[in-house]
Amino acid sequence: MSNIISVTDLVKKYKDFTAVDGISFAVKEGEVFGILGPNGAGKTTTLEIMETLKELTSGEVLIDGINVKEHPWEVKRRIGVQLQSSAFYPELNLVELLDMFAAMYDVQIDPMKMLKEVALEDKAKSYVKQLSGGQQQRFSIASTLINTPKVIFLDEPTTGLDPQARMHLWEMVRKVKKSGVTIVLTTHYMDEAEQLCDRLAIMDHGKIMKIGTPATFIKDLLKKGFKKEMKPEPANLEDVFLNLTGRQLREA
Amino acid sequence: MENQYKKPNQLRAFFTMMKYFFLAQTRNPATFAFGFLFPVVFISIFGLIGNSTPPINIGIPIESNRDNPITQAIKEQDFAKIQEAPKAELENKIKQGKLSGILEVETLESQPPQYTINVITSQANPQEAAGVTSFVRGIADQTNLRLSGVENPPVRVTQSEISGREIRYIDFALPGQIGFSLLSTALFGTVFGLIYLKKALILKRMFATPTKALTILLAQGGSRLIVALLQTLVILILGVVVFQFYLPHGWITFFELMLLSTIGLIAFLGFGYFMAGLANDENAAGPLVNLVSLPQFLLSGTFFPTDNLPNWLQPIANNLPLSYFNMAVRKVTTEGGDISQTIPYIIGLIAWGAIMYILAAKTFRWE
Repeated sequence: MSNIISVTDLVKKYKDFTAVDGISFAVKEGEVFGILGPNGAGKTTTLEIMETLKELTSGEVLIDGINVKEHPWEVKRRIGVQLQSSAFYPELNLVELLDMFAAMYDVQIDPMKMLKEVALEDKAKSYVKQLSGGQQQRFSIASTLINTPKVIFLDEPTTGLDPQARMHLWEMVRKVKKSGVTIVLTTHYMDEAEQLCDRLAIMDHGKIMKIGTPATFIKDLLKKGFKKEMKPEPANLEDVFLNLTGRQLREA
Repeated sequence: MENQYKKPNQLRAFFTMMKYFFLAQTRNPATFAFGFLFPVVFISIFGLIGNSTPPINIGIPIESNRDNPITQAIKEQDFAKIQEAPKAELENKIKQGKLSGILEVETLESQPPQYTINVITSQANPQEAAGVTSFVRGIADQTNLRLSGVENPPVRVTQSEISGREIRYIDFALPGQIGFSLLSTALFGTVFGLIYLKKALILKRMFATPTKALTILLAQGGSRLIVALLQTLVILILGVVVFQFYLPHGWITFFELMLLSTIGLIAFLGFGYFMAGLANDENAAGPLVNLVSLPQFLLSGTFFPTDNLPNWLQPIANNLPLSYFNMAVRKVTTEGGDISQTIPYIIGLIAWGAIMYILAAKTFRWE
């Protein structure tokens, strides 16, 4: 698989603060790539530079072979973006929002078909604020697919969702991946990273600490002689919760 | 590859965004309140104020002798409003400024009887006092002549009126209301609207599309222009249909007003973009917007003529952007002039607008 994103020596400085401190990584076409890290690690800044929303201080970012700094408009056409909050006009309904974004990308779409794909066809005339958290995130993902992008960026897509909504969103992400779209996401949840991501970069203080697959991360740690101070249990609390409340998606 | 590097089609994005931004505004209660409800309420009130000068309010104490030719003659005048009540009550009213004067007629039982009219007026209100006094003098003179049997007095006053269109308060107030609603839309709508779009990351999400920032701003402005022209239209329809507001040259005046509204709104939007650049959140924006709008609402001849303002304030009051707009609108409506006479005001508006857009370009931040 070829690299669809390559980031080389990327630096982003604000006055006297270095948010991103010389990072390099590559994302392969068709994979789900996760960026993990505590708050303030530089995840969102890195994402926003790739999304052409922030200018880089130095270094180089290529998306689908196009330099983000030199041809931001070409990059914008090829990517889909989901921001941390559901960033949509509060006074427009879902169909109207999709129609407006289609015009902004200059593409033709069938809004109802797009809503159907994220199981929101019966919310077509609803406003975003009338949706549940999970529905908002699903709509948000639908909106990233309007321009049939090669890469989509999801910033903390499951933060604040209940376990059922999270699992449902994971299913959606897997579906999008199956259609051949590369996905870059940030998350705070380790289980999400483990379940969803083919490869991970762990960031802190603007630097990348480690890049690899979840399995090699764990293997490497165990090799160093790490032992978790816990008896292995055949089930955990989440299993209990889902066993009691079911996996059925909860929505109004 | 070469072919794929074409610029995105901004025109389709512009028109579609303008349509949806307009739709979003029509669903926003603030647009409705500031742009339509307030002006309509104001105009309805101003329309009811009417034109008739307030009548002279005269009190006649019920304790006094009211059965005499003087009192009868006063009561027959239709522009004097007579209140008959106990003297103490009338005295209270005159102190509160609700009466122009109190009349007590004393009758001396001589043959023929003689009358003394005592006029009580308020020191605080010399104008009304003079009005009442001259009114009573006139009545007294007439009565004197009649009682003395003079049929043909040597001096006579006749009055002839030149026909003119009477200027009512609504004729003054309605142009001001168009200005009021346009400035409100341009300032409150734009400033709070843009701050919300920034904070909720809505603008950022739009910047992730191939539509340019300038296209987004122009579409915003375009949608506000549609709302503003609708406001002017609603105010004019209400004025013309309900309160007989007069358009001197009919449709020509109507289109002149639409043109002036367009120029006015574009200039006022400059203030909106500038303020939206200065203020980072709603808390900072509130005082800032009021700082710009309140003095203009008060000093620009929106609710009362600037002629009443002290001399030192006049140069400021007459050169505010809303003043230019109001003066231009009054030129083509109340004063019956044509659009060429408004050119100095249009130049003034464009100058203000240009300054604001330059400042806005320096202060505006997208995040």
